[in-house]
Amino acid sequence: MSIFHKIAKRATAVALGAGLMVGAAHAAEKKDIVLGGSIPLTGVFAFAGVGIHAGIQDAVKITNDNGGIEGHKLVYVPEDTAYKVDASVAAFNKITSQHDVNLYYGDSTAFSKTIAPELDRSGKMLMAGASFASELDDPKKYPNIFIPGPSYTDMVGILLEYIAKEKPGAKVGFVHSDTEFGRDPVEGAKASAKALGLDMNLVISTAPGGVDVSTEVLKMRRARPDFVIFHGYVLAPIPEFITQARSMGLKTKFMGTFWSMDNSMVGKMGDVADGFMGVMPYNYYYTKADNAPMLDKIRSMRDTYQSNAYMQGFFSTMMMAEAARNTVKAGKELNGANLKAGLQAIKDFDTGGVIGVPVSVKGNSVPVGRVYQYDAAKKQMVAASDWINLD
Amino acid sequence: MRIGTAKENYLHDAALFDTNVQRAWMVALAAALLVLPFISGQYIGYLVCLVLINIVSTTGLNILTGFTGLVSLGQAAFMGVGAYTVAILEINAGTPFLLNLLIAGGAASLVGVVVGLPSLRVKGLYLAIATIAASVILHFVFANWTSVTGGVSGLTMPPASIFGFELVQPNQVYWIIMPITVVMLFGAANLFRTRIGRAFIAIRDRDISAEVLGIRLLRYKLLSFAISSFYAGVAGGLWAYFFRVITPESFPLMMSIFFLAAIIVGGMGSILGGILGAVFMTMVPEILKMMVGVLSPIWPDAVAVMSPVRIIVFGGLIIFFLIFEPDGLAEIWRNIRRFFHLWPFRT
Repeated sequence: MSIFHKIAKRATAVALGAGLMVGAAHAAEKKDIVLGGSIPLTGVFAFAGVGIHAGIQDAVKITNDNGGIEGHKLVYVPEDTAYKVDASVAAFNKITSQHDVNLYYGDSTAFSKTIAPELDRSGKMLMAGASFASELDDPKKYPNIFIPGPSYTDMVGILLEYIAKEKPGAKVGFVHSDTEFGRDPVEGAKASAKALGLDMNLVISTAPGGVDVSTEVLKMRRARPDFVIFHGYVLAPIPEFITQARSMGLKTKFMGTFWSMDNSMVGKMGDVADGFMGVMPYNYYYTKADNAPMLDKIRSMRDTYQSNAYMQGFFSTMMMAEAARNTVKAGKELNGANLKAGLQAIKDFDTGGVIGVPVSVKGNSVPVGRVYQYDAAKKQMVAASDWINLD
Repeated sequence: MRIGTAKENYLHDAALFDTNVQRAWMVALAAALLVLPFISGQYIGYLVCLVLINIVSTTGLNILTGFTGLVSLGQAAFMGVGAYTVAILEINAGTPFLLNLLIAGGAASLVGVVVGLPSLRVKGLYLAIATIAASVILHFVFANWTSVTGGVSGLTMPPASIFGFELVQPNQVYWIIMPITVVMLFGAANLFRTRIGRAFIAIRDRDISAEVLGIRLLRYKLLSFAISSFYAGVAGGLWAYFFRVITPESFPLMMSIFFLAAIIVGGMGSILGGILGAVFMTMVPEILKMMVGVLSPIWPDAVAVMSPVRIIVFGGLIIFFLIFEPDGLAEIWRNIRRFFHLWPFRT
């Protein structure tokens, strides 16, 4: 073989090799999967919005550090909404006009209901959000939305199941705010209490955040419930209720649902926080558990306490990423219907300690949670029950 | 430089647009409004629709507060009456959207007349408190009259339709919002060329003197509330067609404060002031968001860090305009126009 022939052969081999590498590089450049977010970074819900934003950011980072979603990079595009529906919808329109969005995080029940027809019309994306409204737990009415945890009705159901185990036939009071949020689980709670043989002999509605609850506490004193569940509040007027009830000698145990269960918020109740219980779908930032690599990872990324809102945002992103992963693995197009199918295919999913048991999606929600109780000595919410899965 | 505009008769003097330049600008604006949905995306279309709805409501409040001098913090509640009326009619009767909007305006008007009754005895801040009370009562009705309003869950309504074609996207709903806004604005501008409008202004300037001059305060104050509430009811109806979900929390007291701030920033007592105020209050937060968004590629956490700063900047801009031009954006606009009319002279 002549030297020119050898050079030509080697040059051809190099060219072919280079061509293959370029082709491989193009094949490796997979389309980004965009997660848009209408996030309440300012306004009345900012305390949660900031946490949710941080949780989503970290979950996105961890996903991308681990190779993305089957090689697709997950990109998070948030906008502030100040917890106003018109600003949320504006953010949605802005983000969807600038990006090809497959996943979305919405900030409120009102936004979810408002944007649902557009989600159905476009058929392009799957949405989660800060709302645990029972109305959204309807796959037929809201096929493109899911709740990243139990609905408010499920949360109260978990508490009632705990009460029924602790004290069969107990008297239960239900105190809720006079808002859509507060009234959400009332009827479900009454039905569940009856089914569990509990006596829900007191239902009180108050203005959200109001501090004058003396007349309501008098009603509580007359009813003398063994347990009282608060729903629809973040902090006030729970401490006022507990303080006045204790001063009247009531031995009632007080409980709350998700948005009143943040450790730092409960700590703000002061002395009356001791013994306060409630339902949390997720582990707390500080929870020490065996085989909880995701919790360890969160603690390595954030060395200060992260709120329950953070855990909610983090878990929502995990679930949306997993739905997208199932869709991509199945070789299907990333659209609303396929992503929802990918979500509902999630069975016994190990969250790495974010939730202490493997989770499955049922309908439009993940109906699992645990009862926690505030320990004033440790200044922490500690587990008071095992994980409860609702069917 | 404009030397002057000679008026040859009273009609000419009372004309809304008295120069060819103004008329040309109006034609250009009309052309822009007609072309906008075809050249803008859904985001811009959404913002334009929101601005137009806010213009209608702000103009209504301007009629009451800016022109008649009656402070009201119930504008959002009247919008709620209009929104619920439209939703109930659309869901249960399926009547045409124009009829629904008229009925919504009428319903809000009736409520406005009732709410306006205290204005015959109290003024200023005391009247504002009375309208806040009305707001609270209406919110209670929206939240508790479950059989009609859906209670705290509210109502979800179907979209408006024209000859069977459903108006779902912002650039489609625009075709009912824009013409109605234009008609309402011309109506408001014409109102103040009539006896009724002049009576409102007289009541604002000195109600006792107005009464001495023969203006019946009872009749005209309630009429002002009725007209203002009509505007709010129509704005609420348009809002309902735009968002299609109405809950008691859709029309909070903060929204009434938003509209009051809009007329103060824009300039009370002028139609242009209401328009500019609504545009300012709606668009400036979005423009500030866009400016923060520009930073995002170089500073990934810009949105979270700069969002509270954005709110402070917005508040600061309102204070800035109020300090340097207490008569509002409309006066700034008039000063700019005067500058160009008189150029190269100064006064």
